[in-house]
Amino acid sequence: MANTWGYGAMTNSLGDIQNAKAIIVFGANPAVNHPVGFQHFLKAKERNNAQLIVIDPRYTKTAAKSDLYAQIRPGTDIPFMYGMLHIIFKNGWHDQGFVDDRVYGMDDIKEEAKKWTPERVEDVTGVPADKLIQITRVYAKSTPGTLVWAMGLTQHSNGSSNTRMAPILQLALGNLGVEGGGCNILRGHDNVQGATDMCCLSHTLPGYYGLSKGSWGYFAKSWGVDYDWLKGRFKSEEMMGAKGFTLARWYAGVLAGKPGEDKIHNAGTNLKALVVLGNGITAIAQQAKVKEALDELELIVLADPFVNEAAVLTDKKDNVYILPAATQFETSGSVTATNRASQWRNKVVDPLYESKTDHDIMFELAKRLGFYDEFTKGMLLKDDPKTAKPVQVKDKFQWPEDATDEIARIIKTIGLTGWTAERLKKHSENWHMFDEVSGRGHGPMKGEYYGLPWPCWTTEHSGSPILYNIHRSVAEGGMGFRNRFGLEHDGVDLLAGKGSAPKGSANKDGYPEINAKNIEEVLGITLTAEEKSLIGKNWKVDTSGIIAQKCMEQGMAPYGNAKARAKVWTFPDQIPLHREPLHSPRQDLVEAYPSFADKENHYRVDTKYISKQSEKDWSKEFPVNLITGRLVNMNGAGVETRASKYLAKLTPEMFCDINPGLAANHGIRDGAMMWIHSPEGTKIKVKAKFSHSVAEDRVFIPMHFAGYFQGEDRTGNFPQGTKPYASGESANTVTNYGYDIITQIPETKGGLCRIEKA
Amino acid sequence: MSEDYYARMKFYCDESRCIQCDGCSVACAEAHELPVGISRRKVITLNEGIEKKEFSTSVACMHCTDAPCEQVCPVDCFYIREDGIVLHDKDVCIGCGYCLFACPFGAPQFPQDGAFGTKGAMDKCTMCAGGPEETNSAKERELYGQNRIAEGKVPVCAAMCSTKALLVGDSEDVAKVYRERVAARGHGILSAPYGWDAAYGNK
Repeated sequence: MANTWGYGAMTNSLGDIQNAKAIIVFGANPAVNHPVGFQHFLKAKERNNAQLIVIDPRYTKTAAKSDLYAQIRPGTDIPFMYGMLHIIFKNGWHDQGFVDDRVYGMDDIKEEAKKWTPERVEDVTGVPADKLIQITRVYAKSTPGTLVWAMGLTQHSNGSSNTRMAPILQLALGNLGVEGGGCNILRGHDNVQGATDMCCLSHTLPGYYGLSKGSWGYFAKSWGVDYDWLKGRFKSEEMMGAKGFTLARWYAGVLAGKPGEDKIHNAGTNLKALVVLGNGITAIAQQAKVKEALDELELIVLADPFVNEAAVLTDKKDNVYILPAATQFETSGSVTATNRASQWRNKVVDPLYESKTDHDIMFELAKRLGFYDEFTKGMLLKDDPKTAKPVQVKDKFQWPEDATDEIARIIKTIGLTGWTAERLKKHSENWHMFDEVSGRGHGPMKGEYYGLPWPCWTTEHSGSPILYNIHRSVAEGGMGFRNRFGLEHDGVDLLAGKGSAPKGSANKDGYPEINAKNIEEVLGITLTAEEKSLIGKNWKVDTSGIIAQKCMEQGMAPYGNAKARAKVWTFPDQIPLHREPLHSPRQDLVEAYPSFADKENHYRVDTKYISKQSEKDWSKEFPVNLITGRLVNMNGAGVETRASKYLAKLTPEMFCDINPGLAANHGIRDGAMMWIHSPEGTKIKVKAKFSHSVAEDRVFIPMHFAGYFQGEDRTGNFPQGTKPYASGESANTVTNYGYDIITQIPETKGGLCRIEKA
Repeated sequence: MSEDYYARMKFYCDESRCIQCDGCSVACAEAHELPVGISRRKVITLNEGIEKKEFSTSVACMHCTDAPCEQVCPVDCFYIREDGIVLHDKDVCIGCGYCLFACPFGAPQFPQDGAFGTKGAMDKCTMCAGGPEETNSAKERELYGQNRIAEGKVPVCAAMCSTKALLVGDSEDVAKVYRERVAARGHGILSAPYGWDAAYGNK
């Protein structure tokens, strides 16, 4: 996404789905995972006669509400989408004008699509050719169409190719930057977008600033600390700029050096301590490795409102600390929704008993580690308009308002300048004055969109409910694609074509991102000497705010107006190509579409691709496709929802959805216990639940259970009185090895297993 | 509308919108602090996983126009309010279970704590309207749960419904909302489903 057009976020919003004439869903199950948001899908069907098309390995609750459904084999989304493009290009259903002006590299896609005839797609994906044709016709002919996805598309070894392929399909149809169109990626939890924006990641700084010295320098200045002091916190300047471990593979940082474990690049040392702030690490792939790593650590600290089941999983007896963290109801502040909009949340009660809020836990830790003053100093600063430099304006900070204002002061990349605490509070207080579909405000809130969806360029900006919409002016949330990948590539201009500038733009052509050098020329203005002395190097670090201000006056986006790209020349696959999952049931296709070369130092860990895939014909021993996913009554690793008796009542035990035909072949009865074995040599014992939602070649298991490990009941490890009402095997004990080539997300949506009667 | 019109409170679950999220049943259990064994409201899914045939609906006491439970009760513990909400008196109920056999929807629930399946007093959906005890008294709350109707609130199940499939209110208003949806979709239910006459028929 970010590599296609600039930002990796939902382009439209849930409400805007009501404007769609067709909705195509790849690997998402909003009826289960976003039940309230799903009303917009149903209303689109009801009021707009929208066609709901669901592409999923399972007949999900979302599929039950669909007009067209295709049961795809896990990990074959790219062939399916190329198959759609094959038909679209062949019939001329694509939007040539849009592609010419606003997309780079579509010709290469066209070439690749030629190979994917409906018959070939049928062989690879398992979807009948006539079904593909029917779906493509309906989707291409019903514009605008919106494309929805979630973890079913991303959690693959080539997930980053999947998430480029879907935007390419939308670009070909011209379904971008329009109401009822876009790529609507559904975030899985409350405030995931906010957590990502604020960098719960290991490869960027907050706001997606990179790890370069320039970015660190900008943050040092903005936080009011010395760059050298920051550098001194790291082992070396090299490690300061190196990507960290990810949630998916932190365990490798502990286990490296043991036989059979992947090599790490961590400045010569293994990980020794783990601090977990509210993360269900018992719902992460390779649970057996996670357990081994937990046992090996010198120190484990788990802060959670409930007992983090990592404490139950580990055999470690000493130096495991469980800290009671407060819930969202015991604190306040802003949270960011899936559509890049923010909401202010108010505290209901003070933290109960001994629990502390997450920020208090971190403040106390910073105090003990001796950098509390530096840690909190940014909240005391404001940019001085006279010098465009941050100066200290107070001695004590007000939580959380000053933290929100600090974010607004520093983060320019995604346009958070307009997100002051005062504005966000006003929006939440006047919630009823906004339209459910467009997000437009009425009455006193006129001229603003609910929650000020980013980019919100200035403190007066309306917010941008639909990304890349050139039919609106920049002041009303319009913009072209971001100029992020240079001005040209291989001699081809990467800026947008003539006539595709946002409405009211002073510059009618494509234009580059704005910096101190090109501002006068690109915007067609003359700066005063004073402005020239204050202006920052470029729009991302311009603390003077002059670039954003001048851009608004000229109706132009600070980040430029460029083409989206279908080709990413820095990736192993420049255009998305089909590659079979590391564990595929089709050995013949593994040979035709092998995985990537193994990758060295992938977030500090050497990661296996082709060597794992070609180790043996996995499908012989493990013939059944394994799919994991979520349940409507559970959340994440599930401990807080399993601790509610009424929620636990709905699914009191871990289970496996299995087709009665497959079960019969293994002598497994409905409600009987069965084993699921993984290629990693691990196994889980679960209850069989007959279901026609899965075909005979695949099984589905929910990811919310923990407390049992490979047949062993470990719930005795819960501290007295904390055991949830429901416990069970963790699905991730049997999810397979396999990680995305770019993001390292685990391949949990396309592995193999073997089943057996217990 | 004629002068002698009285509101008649009804539930209706729009099966085109119900997604089996169980928000209604959990909200009900939580609001009335029900024992785990009692399900005043249930979401039923038929033909699960079968293409084009799966559908879900939320079921509880339908507060029938001519309530069969009331007709068969040997101790006359039922009473029907002027607004059509069907309630009963747990102090009078003998737990015989006749009402369960008469009910087309399986609404009556019985605590079964004793040996040999002996039943306690029947429990069912009150449309969040409490019972015969003093309104909003501690005893009413203990026996029948919250009385939200007396507070001017919507029954908790419909308030919580994530897709607004579950409608509740004066039958005229419910019909109006549903009629608008059916007209917009261009198709409705093909024929009156099972139990329609009991739940919605005219006296």
